[in-house]
Amino acid sequence: MNAHAAASSASAPVSVCLGAERLCKRYGAVQANSDISIFIAPGEIHAVVGENGAGKSTLMRILQGIEQPDSGRIIVDDRDVRFSGPGHAFELGIGMVHQEFMLAPDLTLLENLVLGDEPLVRRIGPVSRIDWEAALASGRELAGRTAVEVDWSRRSGGTPVHIQQFVEIIRLLRRGARILILDEPTAVLAPQQVEDLFSLLRKLREDSTTILFVSHKLKEVMALADRVTVFRRGEVCYSSPVADTDIDTIAGHMIGEAGDRTHPASSRRKGAVGEIVLEARRLTTPALEKSHPLHGVDLQVNEGEIVGLAGVSGNGQSELVECLVGLRAVSDGAIFLAGDDITNLPNRDRRELGMGYVSANRRDEGLALAASVEANVVAGSQRKAPINRHGLLDLAAMRRQAGQRLDLLAVRYGALGDAASSLSGGNQQRLVFAREIASDPKLLVVSQPTRGVDLKGIAAIHAILRRFRDDGGSVLLVSEELDEILELADRIAVMANGRIVGQLQAEEADVAKVGRMMLTQGGTDD
Amino acid sequence: MTEIAAARRFDAIAWFDKGIGLAFPFVVALAVASAVLLAVGENPIDVFSLMAAESFGSTRRIAATLSAATPLLFTGVATAICFRSGVFNVGVEGAFVIGGLCGAFVGFSLPAGFGLALIPLAFAFAAIGSALWLSVPGYLLARYEVDEVVSTLMLNFVAFGITGYLVNGPLLSEISGNNVTPLVHEAAQLPRLLPPSTVHAGFLVGLVLVVAYGLWARRTPSGFEGALVGHNRRFSKAIGISIPATIVLVMVISGIVAGMGGASHALGQLHRFADGFSPGYGFTGMAVALLGRNTATGILLGAILFGALASAGTTVQLFSDIPLDIVNIIEGTVMIFAVVELGRLSLRRWRGAS
Ligand SMILES: Nc1ncnc2c1ncn2[C@@H]1O[C@H](COP(=O)(O)OP(=O)(O)OP(=O)(O)O)[C@@H](O)[C@H]1O
Ligand SMILES: [Mg+2]
Repeated sequence: MNAHAAASSASAPVSVCLGAERLCKRYGAVQANSDISIFIAPGEIHAVVGENGAGKSTLMRILQGIEQPDSGRIIVDDRDVRFSGPGHAFELGIGMVHQEFMLAPDLTLLENLVLGDEPLVRRIGPVSRIDWEAALASGRELAGRTAVEVDWSRRSGGTPVHIQQFVEIIRLLRRGARILILDEPTAVLAPQQVEDLFSLLRKLREDSTTILFVSHKLKEVMALADRVTVFRRGEVCYSSPVADTDIDTIAGHMIGEAGDRTHPASSRRKGAVGEIVLEARRLTTPALEKSHPLHGVDLQVNEGEIVGLAGVSGNGQSELVECLVGLRAVSDGAIFLAGDDITNLPNRDRRELGMGYVSANRRDEGLALAASVEANVVAGSQRKAPINRHGLLDLAAMRRQAGQRLDLLAVRYGALGDAASSLSGGNQQRLVFAREIASDPKLLVVSQPTRGVDLKGIAAIHAILRRFRDDGGSVLLVSEELDEILELADRIAVMANGRIVGQLQAEEADVAKVGRMMLTQGGTDD
Repeated sequence: MTEIAAARRFDAIAWFDKGIGLAFPFVVALAVASAVLLAVGENPIDVFSLMAAESFGSTRRIAATLSAATPLLFTGVATAICFRSGVFNVGVEGAFVIGGLCGAFVGFSLPAGFGLALIPLAFAFAAIGSALWLSVPGYLLARYEVDEVVSTLMLNFVAFGITGYLVNGPLLSEISGNNVTPLVHEAAQLPRLLPPSTVHAGFLVGLVLVVAYGLWARRTPSGFEGALVGHNRRFSKAIGISIPATIVLVMVISGIVAGMGGASHALGQLHRFADGFSPGYGFTGMAVALLGRNTATGILLGAILFGALASAGTTVQLFSDIPLDIVNIIEGTVMIFAVVELGRLSLRRWRGAS
């Protein structure tokens, strides 16, 4: 396959803008990249797809000079290069937006934009003033080419993710990047935002920017890319112009012959709904900076039911979730869990009462990245049997539990003692989900549970959620993927402007209906 | 097969990396000290071998080293407990001094008739005193987010002030000059392990605490929670760990350990409390904890190393023209580079680039 890829690009008259040949990279026991060859033509949009842990991000990091390959060549503009670091790659015009964004949260967007390359009024030795007007002008000019409104004076920590992502891209362009590497740029975006991003990328392609991007969503690949390369277990197993292939072929190569591609038929709840498990009554939160206030949210989740919470991102969904799990104070209203008033209980007590929580923010809230895989996956169970025996941790039981939980979702990891940050993005997400489902909750509050997870993983997570529901569990599912909500939920609540603007039974819901409710009654008000 | 071999090789490299990381501060410290020694016209090799001989050359010298290491075992553990939980408690010094005063106070003020019971009483009183002491900044941090570095640092000065006042006033010994309390009763003095050296039973108490710390950190739920809080508070909160409770807990345990260290020093070494009770044991303990990466083994080794430096320093000066400052230079350099994980970083870079 490698030979085929090499041959096809060697025969092309155009040069290789960015490429790799026989690249290998190993981390401990994991061969993350083995013999990777990939060639990207100038002005091409090249998609890389593959299962979680297939080595996509690893290759991107190598191509950006963050990691050094163990062996193999890197090619930029037909010449062999050896990156001394990301700065070097950047000088050659290669810029990357990471899977986890990297803006400094406490700086404003404008400060972030010019960070590292500030326009100066004049230079007087080390003392020089930054020319903020020039900075703003350059930011406006670049943003003008895109469809988004950017409030440059906002702190980046409080900005919606899609704006942050635009700023990251604009920042790279401003500094002269002509090859963009985007690692799962659409994972955090709502459908409309994906459209905005794609139109920007198409425009950039017209200006002869070369783009390499990673995605798990094959529809997007088909819509945007010129060429697609499939990774499996660290190797390139397929590469083709998008025009000459189709989704099924690509998916087949991703999963491999051994893989099972049957999709479980989406099943609905069978029995009747049980008692009310979670109830929010007129939940209200104050308008704070960085967050959307809630204006009297009423919501119920019953036993044996999956309730999907749909809405354009940034309409109060994340605030509602934080109130429900006890990470945000409410100013008015009440929350009941199985009849107990939990409005003012800390998260700890809510968990005791049977609440599980998959956070949408796996980097800061879902994981302790520097702690071991083992600690992350058993965290929260340290005071319960079998890990806790007579007040002491039973290390053997802990290892066993960790192994079992990780196997449940086929998390790919090197060793239990490795830092969680060494897991690939999708595997980190699987880990978080595995931990929460294993804590045996009554109610699961899951926010973006399949973000960054590959097709097989999504199917596994969905199957687990359904089984959980069929066994009498309750789920509040918050997702920006309308498809995911429509597929899983028994009942759909639509949120806009900090309110629940409508509810639908799954049978009567479809994309158009829900979409209309999201937009006509909502939209952002800030 | 090759998979396994390669993985093993990687393991070996990882271990090597770790070793270099730990040794790195010392290598730099020795280099800096060598430069200073050369500049003043001394032969560094001679000086270092003299120092090695002075700290480990004979049973007596080893005993002196262990004696100097004793307070550092306590302060090292007291610091590590907080640091691994992300609580930057720099108030171990003050807690140590408070514990020393409390321990000595029990040792001389209770009737001698208590006999050997004086020792546990003194340790307990010291532990309680210092635990209360550090619970204040702990509570302020947990409840009101008062920066612990500032509050504990300031409390050190308060501790020096209070104890200084007491030993010059109410608790001043009537018979022996200035700034000291009376001697503790003989029954309250910790037995010497290797007379005539001053290493005393407090060293054993310290060892027990180091082991207990290791067990706590690895084998108990609260130790596990402390580490997670140290890694990521927001995550810990979301997983159901109470951050305020953890902060107060580690501060209190830190106080208990530091207080016992003070009692051990008062009962075993000085047999009283004196102004200037601690020449910075709390701060050296910080270096010990950093150097030992908050692990029990690391703290033990770190304490002995700093003990060796201290005991060598005092005698080296007697037998040569080398100023005592060279020891301070080494200590200081080790402390700085213990914080910077430069060793591992640069090695990785270099290996990656080659
Ligand atoms: N720093 C590291 N240390 C140890 N192992 C690592 C490290 N980085 C990556 N790995 C391992 O290398 C493999 C490939 O990871 P990579 O991040 O490239 O996957 P990916 O294809 O981007 O997956 P995803 O779709 O989940 O993001 C994974 O199994 C991961 O555990
Ligand atoms: Mg990735």
